Amino acid sequence: MMVQYFALLRDVTGKKEEDWRQPEATLGDLLHALVAKYGRAFERWVLKDGDLWNLVIILVNGRDVRHLQRLATPLAPTDTVVIFPPVGGG
Amino acid sequence: MDGWIGKVLRVNLSTDKVSTEALDPGLAKDYIGARGLGTKIMTDEVDPKVDPLSPENKLIFMPGPLTGTFAPSAGRYTVVTKGALTGAIASANSGGTWGPALKFAGYDAVIIEGAAPKPVYLWIKNAKVEIRDASHLWGKDVPETSDAIRAETDDDAKIACIGPAGENRVLFACIMNDLHRAAGRSGVGAVMGSKNLKAIAVVGTGAVTCADPKAFESAVVKARDKIHKHPVGGTGLRLYGTDVLTNILNQIGGYPTKNYQDGHFPTADKLGGETLAATLLQRPKGCFSCIISCGRVTKVTNPKYAGEGEGPEYETSWGFGGDCCIDDLDAVTKANYLCNEYGMDAISMAVTVACAMELYEMGLITKEDTGGIALEWGNAEAMVEVTRLTGIGEGFGKKLALGSYRLAESCGHPELSMTVKKQEIPAYDARAVQGIGLNFATANCGAAHVRGYTIAPEVLGNPVKVDKDTIEGKPALVILFQNLTAALDATGACLFTTFGIGADELAEMLGAVTGVGYTSEDFMKCGDRIWNLERQWNLNAGLTANDDTLPPRLLKEPIKTGASKGRLSRLPEMLPEYYELRGWDKNGVPTASKLGELGLTA
Repeated sequence: MMVQYFALLRDVTGKKEEDWRQPEATLGDLLHALVAKYGRAFERWVLKDGDLWNLVIILVNGRDVRHLQRLATPLAPTDTVVIFPPVGGG
Repeated sequence: MDGWIGKVLRVNLSTDKVSTEALDPGLAKDYIGARGLGTKIMTDEVDPKVDPLSPENKLIFMPGPLTGTFAPSAGRYTVVTKGALTGAIASANSGGTWGPALKFAGYDAVIIEGAAPKPVYLWIKNAKVEIRDASHLWGKDVPETSDAIRAETDDDAKIACIGPAGENRVLFACIMNDLHRAAGRSGVGAVMGSKNLKAIAVVGTGAVTCADPKAFESAVVKARDKIHKHPVGGTGLRLYGTDVLTNILNQIGGYPTKNYQDGHFPTADKLGGETLAATLLQRPKGCFSCIISCGRVTKVTNPKYAGEGEGPEYETSWGFGGDCCIDDLDAVTKANYLCNEYGMDAISMAVTVACAMELYEMGLITKEDTGGIALEWGNAEAMVEVTRLTGIGEGFGKKLALGSYRLAESCGHPELSMTVKKQEIPAYDARAVQGIGLNFATANCGAAHVRGYTIAPEVLGNPVKVDKDTIEGKPALVILFQNLTAALDATGACLFTTFGIGADELAEMLGAVTGVGYTSEDFMKCGDRIWNLERQWNLNAGLTANDDTLPPRLLKEPIKTGASKGRLSRLPEMLPEYYELRGWDKNGVPTASKLGELGLTA
């Protein structure tokens, strides 16, 4: 699946996107794998007390996971997952 | 008075009369200041049916009681008038340092009346107020004007001025202050130009007093801490600016593309805040007393579009970018600089160019009209050139100067103008985000995102995440945001403090500085009162419920590609409930009961 990073997550991961080849059943599985790869600098922007942080914006195929099943959102190998740290503006 | 100065400056340019009067404490309490009190003055003194560009219109420059204090991001003032673009009440909000300077000079507002027989500028140094000849400044752009006025007044003078666009009455001309900050929307700059008023220069050596300094300090420290700890107010906006929104709006399929023909732009990343930070950004910049620093000091070295200044913000990056099918950030930034230098609202300028591009594609505008410019989608050079022509009032620019509604109407297709109340719609697709569409349709100044920024809950998840595609609860949500924003605008604090604080903290700071015991409920009621007063003014100006709508494209043409493919705005389903919750009848007229609740009269 394609994982895309925005804002300061590009600095944290060193990339704009990556083709994630490991099968991940759920978003939670994917995020834990990404935390294992990128460490605390990544984790602090996506998880809080083990749960999805309410301010992180994660889209699976354009849909916000906070309206899907949050960490339990199932993933397929052809999905695109997009991750934004909290952003704002006007 | 505390927070407020207690004095209003009134200048009649027809008679050269300069006078001051006391600020009414009762009105100050009910309308707070800036947008609120400015609208009350317009209600009491100006016939809503006046021609906006006539001497009978008034132009009010007004900060709020927090402006000039050390409350977070407390540098704002509002220009209130009848909008040249819209014919509706206009309240254009700007940051920088000009608003605080007016308070330090000893005034809560400057009310400009009449029109000067020839160009003038106003020079205010504390109690000394002069109307000076500006014939030698007429025709100069914003930087030239500012330099020239400082040279003949004071090096430290803070300048609010118009460029050639306001002089030529471009209907979306704005008023610029601190060189790069704009009282942007609704054509307030054209109103200033119609009065032959080139600038207001201010030096103030006084201060804003505080009723309860200990309580104020405590409230401010708490508020600053909350903003600082919030990831957006504390870090995100400083790093990437508002242009960071480009990619999130594009990814959810709500990034209006090609004059709103679509909601996704494949190369949007080239225009986003991340790219801006990596290429053109020199440093972030903040306004008076600001800890957020969303401003972008930038420089373009590409010789084709070379320049320096501030911006682009998200709206500008989107408008000259994806809405025109352009992904050249250098060109977009150059257009942004031109808008600042000539004094034009970048949103209206850009969306008018996009509309013109569609009309050109249809053959309704030709090369003969454009003076040989191929105004095709994606043509960055053409976009920059027609922006320049609009700023200097030449060639095809004279047609664009009317704004997209009048341009499209002259071609027989007003429905291709992406406007509400003739004001160009900002960078959020109402088909992809339901609540913001309702806000666009009902905002009293015309389409404006900052009047009720439900993008925060609907897309960003701040303070909580609400589903952007549902309509349940959206009328109440929009009303909440509209009322809160109206009250906040009236204080002189910046909207971006709401990435961190809300009504509780704002009421606490306001109460401590003024000595008026505002509860959160009082504060929100002020917002409701201001909103209804604006609504009444518009109804008396001749606007009706028919103006609370969106262009047919957003109601009938589904988004073509991207994550929100197939979606339409469901405005017609939300509007009746909005009117009901507002306490209005089915024609959108405030009921006697509602007016009585707010202390207003029919």
